Amino acid sequence: MSDAKAVADRLVKSKRLNALLTPSKELRSALTAQAAAARPTGVLYGMPVAVKDNICTLEFTTTCGSRILEGYRSPYEATAVTKLKAAGALIAGKTNCDEFAMGSSTEHSAYGRVVHPLDKTRVPGGSSGGSAALVGAGALPAALGSETGGSVRQPASFCGVVGIKPTYGRVSRYGLVAFGSSLDQIGVLGRSVHDAARVLSVISGRDLRDATCEDRDPLRLPTVPESLQGFVIGLPREYFPAELDPAVRRACDRAVRLLRDLGAAVREVSLPHTAYAVPTYYVIAPAEASSNLARYDGVRYGPRFDGHADLRGLYRATRGQGFGAEVRRRILVGTYVLSAGFYDAYYRRAQQMRALIAQDFRNVFDRGVDILFTPTTPSPAFKAGEKLSDPIAMYMSDIFTVTANLAGIPAISLPIGRVKGLPIGGQLIGQAFLEDEMLEAAYALERVVPATEEA
Amino acid sequence: MAAGWETVIGLETHVQLRTKSKMFCGCSTAFGAPPNTQVCPVCLGLPGALPVPNGAAIRLAVRGALALGCTVHPKSIFARKNYFYPDLPKGYQISQHDQPLATNGTLSFVSPERGIVNATVVRLHVEEDAGKSIHDRFPKATAVDLNRSGVPLIEIVGGPDLRSPAEARAYLQTLKQLLEYIGISDCDMEKGSLRVDANVSVRREGVTTLSTRTEVKNINSFAFVEKALSVERDRQIALVESGGSVTQQTMLYDSRENTVRPQRSKEESHDYRYFPEPDLPPLVLTPEFVAEEQSELPELPSAKRDRFAAQYVLSREHAAVLTASRGVAEYYENVVRAGAEHQAAANWIMTEALADAKDHQDQLRVPAAGLAQIIALVKGGTLSHQAAKRVFAEVAAKGGDPRTVAEALGLIQVGDTNVVAGWVTDVLGAHATEVARYKKGETKLMAFLLGQVMRASKGKADPKLAQRVLEEKLTSAS
Amino acid sequence: MSVSRDDVLRIAQLAELDVEEDALPDVAEQMSRILDYVAQLSAMPAPTNGTVKTFVPGPDAIRFRPDEVAPWPLAFGPEKFAPAFKEGFFVVPKLGQFE
Repeated sequence: MSDAKAVADRLVKSKRLNALLTPSKELRSALTAQAAAARPTGVLYGMPVAVKDNICTLEFTTTCGSRILEGYRSPYEATAVTKLKAAGALIAGKTNCDEFAMGSSTEHSAYGRVVHPLDKTRVPGGSSGGSAALVGAGALPAALGSETGGSVRQPASFCGVVGIKPTYGRVSRYGLVAFGSSLDQIGVLGRSVHDAARVLSVISGRDLRDATCEDRDPLRLPTVPESLQGFVIGLPREYFPAELDPAVRRACDRAVRLLRDLGAAVREVSLPHTAYAVPTYYVIAPAEASSNLARYDGVRYGPRFDGHADLRGLYRATRGQGFGAEVRRRILVGTYVLSAGFYDAYYRRAQQMRALIAQDFRNVFDRGVDILFTPTTPSPAFKAGEKLSDPIAMYMSDIFTVTANLAGIPAISLPIGRVKGLPIGGQLIGQAFLEDEMLEAAYALERVVPATEEA
Repeated sequence: MAAGWETVIGLETHVQLRTKSKMFCGCSTAFGAPPNTQVCPVCLGLPGALPVPNGAAIRLAVRGALALGCTVHPKSIFARKNYFYPDLPKGYQISQHDQPLATNGTLSFVSPERGIVNATVVRLHVEEDAGKSIHDRFPKATAVDLNRSGVPLIEIVGGPDLRSPAEARAYLQTLKQLLEYIGISDCDMEKGSLRVDANVSVRREGVTTLSTRTEVKNINSFAFVEKALSVERDRQIALVESGGSVTQQTMLYDSRENTVRPQRSKEESHDYRYFPEPDLPPLVLTPEFVAEEQSELPELPSAKRDRFAAQYVLSREHAAVLTASRGVAEYYENVVRAGAEHQAAANWIMTEALADAKDHQDQLRVPAAGLAQIIALVKGGTLSHQAAKRVFAEVAAKGGDPRTVAEALGLIQVGDTNVVAGWVTDVLGAHATEVARYKKGETKLMAFLLGQVMRASKGKADPKLAQRVLEEKLTSAS
Repeated sequence: MSVSRDDVLRIAQLAELDVEEDALPDVAEQMSRILDYVAQLSAMPAPTNGTVKTFVPGPDAIRFRPDEVAPWPLAFGPEKFAPAFKEGFFVVPKLGQFE
């Protein structure tokens, strides 16, 4: 059981990361109050867990890293948060993120960028950069993030922590501010597979308030296996292209050797439509986002921006001033691909491609492969400002992660080494609703991989 | 209407389904609550909220589709209709687009001009309602109440099958009756549970292609349906006859001025960017579900009307009146079942019972058994028709057993021949002149003499008996 | 294909987003770049046998909610979070001269 004061102190000490949006004073008093009220029989009793600011909480504000929700206090909380509290966890503040979860570096927050825990000139990844940075800095054992295209796994890889994306429908989205509804899931950042998995288990399970949440019991955690005898691990060749950073390749090769040593059979496989994944994602996600963000109109919540003589003026001032450039850009792209005359060529096409991508995975899993292993990101954390001028360059950092969101299957990133001192993650991709197998492999690998050693 | 022109009308009706809770959340649908008190994260469109569909609403929608003879699709998809308006909290409405719940039905109605018309129902789909915008409460501002936001609706789209404003009204009234019959809606235009938008175009007689149409909105009663469509039709004809052409636009009806004017749109371009609702899986209906709703369908109005005409030997008009609502039809059959003669029951209900109901919130205040008794008392000569009406009124207001009430009011007729004969004798004795005139051939004096007998008996004589006795005495004695 | 200045204005209007006059060329250029990038999807051969399936994860069919008045809770009402609230109503400026 963590001492509320000690927790608060650690969080306040990591202020330099700009990872936490909650003011220190409010954080301290909330932690004290929660610690007093926390249920001692809960499986997460006393565990401080920070929550990404695009997840609604009754404590603290929910801004989604945006001006358009500046100061917004949600009158209800996300199911995942309710479950955390019921399990005795302490909600340790709200973490900074790319605005409305749109980004891969947490440089697109209206509240300033988040700093990489090991190198302040670099980004922690995004959009769950705040959560990843806090866990990476050792300020917390775990934090909630969200995934639409890799926003938990990619920052996990950059910050040297574990990041899990569950199967779509495993965790309720009620209270997760929607970005790409058919892709979104709440995910978990943790300092170890066990910490992250424990939290995932608590927040998972049926919820009548989310029609896309499957009617299943919460995830049951497997035990740490002695060996991976009997596991078949696939290496999709499209994720190990010739131009892959040699240091990243070395780290992956080392991890694969260790998986073999653990007794797993390793096989090369192919996911032929991988090249289309990023463009597919960048049609579907902005399209859904353009619709999901229409509710931010200044009418019912959020600040009122000046300069509105009439209703149209109110809408345009609110959305023009309240949204940042990346969000505005994605809304415009999304609106475009849904508009009359373009729906078939873009959105419908993308949904068809999505079916092919999902089928690629099914084909491989149907042929006896249990889990896939890939790099999580093509490189370690890049420098702040490096990718801001070209949106496509930024999008490419999602290249190994978006496929799991498109197919709705679970994936986990865990640290597998260092590249010039910077963490790099390896990814395990599992079959739908078979997180337990994926976690077994992750537990086993985590025990043996030299995560802080250069590759 | 100008000669040589044909009007083509298709109606889009939005009907609120009778459920306790909203379409996608558990808020109440009750009418009349203070503003913004029947709201929750979902129907407020708060960040992070999600829709969860109401099973009863789907049931009622399926029932409506079946009653309209539609094909109910086992799989249909919800879709987002995207546009901005302050009473549309999410900035989109959850509706159905490419794959609606039902298609291809019929609504048969009686046209005032051309007999029975089988109007097509192109589609029926499920959607949620928007909230309410009030433009005249605050100066230079719009007040928004989201109590209605999320209420379940079905949209019924009719084909361009109607040929006059009067037909449009008849179609709507038939639709309302049908939906009330199957119990899926109150269909109250005043309360907004039935709303109609009309597509109107005109073409020269003999032309078979469709002309450009306009959409007429803001029609708030059945009477206004006819007025609004007449006004728009006349406007289009005048426009074309003067060399202009009809532009496709939305027209708003102003009931005070009885005019239509173009709506400067709340959505400039009608690009709703429909796409399948990602927050909702497909709407899948098992054959058992649909079969159950089919079996729950009551006897529909037209079938009931035809059966009444045949079974109870009633005219079509009378049968139509008695089957206008399920409640009245049931009442009629209960009265008949309690022993009343068919035509008498029909007459009493069409006159006394319905008139009384009209003043008392449509309640049929006299129990069926009671009405049957009153009818029997008249038939048996115990009550005159006039007296019976008084008894009816008394029982309606205060309840009670009709015979007891009649006795208490002293209305029981005297059917004793001897007593009546006594009065007749007295009257004949007192009006010898009239008797003589009657015997000479002025048979119209019977009415006068009968009236005198009724006076002498203080209204208590059974008039039929009195008349018989009078006739006997007048023809026998000299 | 490229996105013109007018395209941007039309789309911005649909999305109720102000785009400043001097920002238009940049936004048009960025949108063009992104749309050109995703247009590689049309390189995928068109479906020959009629419809090609689309894919959305999640349950196969809706599970219904019973028709009960049981709203998901609100810790406090709209008067606490609405930017403009009067006599129980949300208040917004009128739609120009048209309402």
